[in-house]
Amino acid sequence: MTFRQFAFNNVIRNKRLYAAYFLSSMFTVMVFFAFAIFAFHPVMTSDSLTSGIGQHVSIGLLVSSGIIFVFSFFFVLYSMSSFLQSRKKEFGVLMIQGMSMRQIRMMVFLENMLIGLFATIGGIVLGLVFAKLILLTAENVLIIDNKLDFYFPLMAIIVTFISFNGLFLFISFLVSFVLRSEKLIVLLKGNKISKGEPKASALLTVVAAVLLTGGYYTALIVKKIGVLVAMVPVTIVVIIGTYLLFTQLSVYVIRRLKKRESLFWRKTNMILFSDLSYRMKDNARTFFMVAIISTVAFSAIGTLYGFQTLLTNGIKDMNPHTFSYKPPKTNKDTEQDVAFINDTLKERNIKTDKASAVLQYFDVDGHDMLIVKESDYNKFADLVGADHVKLEEGKAAAAEYDVKVGLEGEDDQPLPSSIPLATGQKLQADKTVRSKALSENSYYIVTDKDFAQLKKPKSENRFYAWQAKESDGMALVKAGEVLQKKLDRIYFAAVDYEVYDISKGYGPVLFVGLFIGIVFFVSAGSFLYFRLYTDLDDDKQKFKSIAKMGLTDRELHKVLNRQIGILFFAPIAVALVHGAVALTALSHAFQYNLFKESAMVLGVFFAIQVIYYFIVRFYYTKQIKAAI
Amino acid sequence: MLQVKQASKIYEGKIAYRALTDINLTIDKGEFVGIMGPSGSGKTTLLNMIATIDEPTTGEILISGQNPHVLKKEKLAKFRRRELGFVFQDFNLLPTLTVEENIVLPLTLDGEKVREMKRRANDLAEKLGITHIMKKRTYEISGGQAQRAAVARAMIHSPKLLLADEPTGNLDSKSSKDVMEMLESINRNEKATMMLVTHDPQAASYCNRVVFIKDGKLYSEINRGDNRQAFFQKILDTLSLLGGDANDLSSVRV
Repeated sequence: MTFRQFAFNNVIRNKRLYAAYFLSSMFTVMVFFAFAIFAFHPVMTSDSLTSGIGQHVSIGLLVSSGIIFVFSFFFVLYSMSSFLQSRKKEFGVLMIQGMSMRQIRMMVFLENMLIGLFATIGGIVLGLVFAKLILLTAENVLIIDNKLDFYFPLMAIIVTFISFNGLFLFISFLVSFVLRSEKLIVLLKGNKISKGEPKASALLTVVAAVLLTGGYYTALIVKKIGVLVAMVPVTIVVIIGTYLLFTQLSVYVIRRLKKRESLFWRKTNMILFSDLSYRMKDNARTFFMVAIISTVAFSAIGTLYGFQTLLTNGIKDMNPHTFSYKPPKTNKDTEQDVAFINDTLKERNIKTDKASAVLQYFDVDGHDMLIVKESDYNKFADLVGADHVKLEEGKAAAAEYDVKVGLEGEDDQPLPSSIPLATGQKLQADKTVRSKALSENSYYIVTDKDFAQLKKPKSENRFYAWQAKESDGMALVKAGEVLQKKLDRIYFAAVDYEVYDISKGYGPVLFVGLFIGIVFFVSAGSFLYFRLYTDLDDDKQKFKSIAKMGLTDRELHKVLNRQIGILFFAPIAVALVHGAVALTALSHAFQYNLFKESAMVLGVFFAIQVIYYFIVRFYYTKQIKAAI
Repeated sequence: MLQVKQASKIYEGKIAYRALTDINLTIDKGEFVGIMGPSGSGKTTLLNMIATIDEPTTGEILISGQNPHVLKKEKLAKFRRRELGFVFQDFNLLPTLTVEENIVLPLTLDGEKVREMKRRANDLAEKLGITHIMKKRTYEISGGQAQRAAVARAMIHSPKLLLADEPTGNLDSKSSKDVMEMLESINRNEKATMMLVTHDPQAASYCNRVVFIKDGKLYSEINRGDNRQAFFQKILDTLSLLGGDANDLSSVRV
């Protein structure tokens, strides 16, 4: 057996030991490769996308693959170092057989190259299997005119293969250099030497609490442009606060809990808490990293998703009607244009309800105000399904647009409450109506009879609205496209087409953002997995001793559930709170309520984490039970 | 108290192996019995079966007239926790707990009141002379102290039967002597029933009776009488008859 054969056999015959490291490396390669398949797709690199807005897309894709690659580097490095940590004893045994440090470095280097090579190949193969799925997803999320067909991604394979083999080569060099020569006895005894219980400083504990509450408070009270100003300092403060939270505050709290014997000595708590405080030193760093990475993922996806909602809903809110046309009275082509719109809709078999009116603007106490007849208002109310208004003679109603965008918490000056008539009398506007019947911020509704008594209007617009009866989205979009090309955009609005247009431009950003966010989140999960499995041997030993004294299955499950639960949910809970605060601040910046979107994004992540928890818990418990 | 009736153990596998053959053993209440035999004779297998960690292939084991091996897994764990006490060669103390916490662990699992646990732990600690190390962690104490803490843990719930597996195996001769004297005094004063598996004739000489096993069968047994020194000599004689290896006779300690 040559030395090289030994190194290879060591890997191949010890599959289980290397599995976690191998899988996470392979996963990283797969993610990068999947992204590359998408980025190098002929449609994405075709001429139509390398000019104009498409150029931004391809630059964005390039930058994104850069981010994923850099992140992969750190991820693989971290996996490698935690993997080597768990093998201290093995190195000790090898050294006692007379292996020199140089040879161990050589062995680690060869192993790493072997694993790296197979991980790259495996990742590419697995990526190819999922390629169609990824392209399909991309096709749905992105709005692309051409289809993203499956293709043989030669370029993606070459790029992934070369860059990851380079990465593994570099990491192998790096790791074999940093593998410090520790004392043999330290290596052999491995984890038996106590690391000691971490201690918390009271001062830093207070600092942690102050930083976090201060950061949160600032993030929650700042409004509008202030959010952008406060973003960087608050982020830094919260990051430091989070670090202290896990290294100091948590240790402090656990120590306090341990002092309370009535709690600590209760049933299985003793086993749970003692280990928790013992491992907090190791856990704290992982927790911190996972919390920050997850927060980044939550915030990024939440922001992108929220922003998209903001854009599309903004348009939908401002345009209650499917199509609307509002030329000034002076426009000569009005009749022609309306006929054209009607013809186009008929041609495309789109059935609509129509309404039209002349909108007249009057001078009311120096304001230019729209005043509409009750009958006109009710026509449009019918169109959008709003309630009719019934007025008495001599009364008027102030109507406000039922807005959601941009005006949260901000009220315009109150409207004058009376409208002068030509006769010198005044109409009292004693009630307020909120609806989407007309897309005007505020106007008055008066009875048809009173309307005739108004003074001369200052200006007049014609207004035509079409409301589609059944919504075949694509037909509306296509019709909108045709109409908007022909008609003046200032007067004509087609909601569906405008939303489609925006989504199309925004889609790639959203897709890339989602992709990177999910990569971050999944790798955060892997960090937790590594952390857990580093302690597997200790745990096996511990539960073996306790089981001999008599530990029921139920008690074992209870301890393990909580132990793994804390590991999986403590950092995620912090990340969720961070994310919620960040997204609330974001909605303050946009002045748009993003609660639904934030809750959805955070909820989905939480659900994924729960699933992950159950899977990991199942396997971990199985392994512990096998050891007992 | 303990009855082992015609117990045999066969380890199945690619090559089946008969570890124990038709063992009959009775231990009365308050007795202190040692099990000796060369390596591989089946001592630990027997102990594991009595400890309910393992079960006999044929035959039965009764503790206070009850056969624990028919119990369900959950019940069995509780039976071990409440009725049996264990002392191991490597102490099996949890490094993350203090000595006191280690001692009360079996009681906490059963949800005992804190005040009661503290009282019992302090009583025992005083008897075993480990009061001053109660707040220390396991890596801060010596092997002898650790084994005494382990004995305290095994005794805290006043078990019906205390089982010790090579309790002196990891200790120096002075600590071995301390621990064995302590076990002997617990046996005498508390009337605790004890069973000890050991290689160490010195340790075995503290028992009332020593049972020898060879190749999975009972070989002989000898009783102590009054003089421990004479008993020790008898044990050595039997071991040499047994054909144990020279290292079974640790003559250095005599």
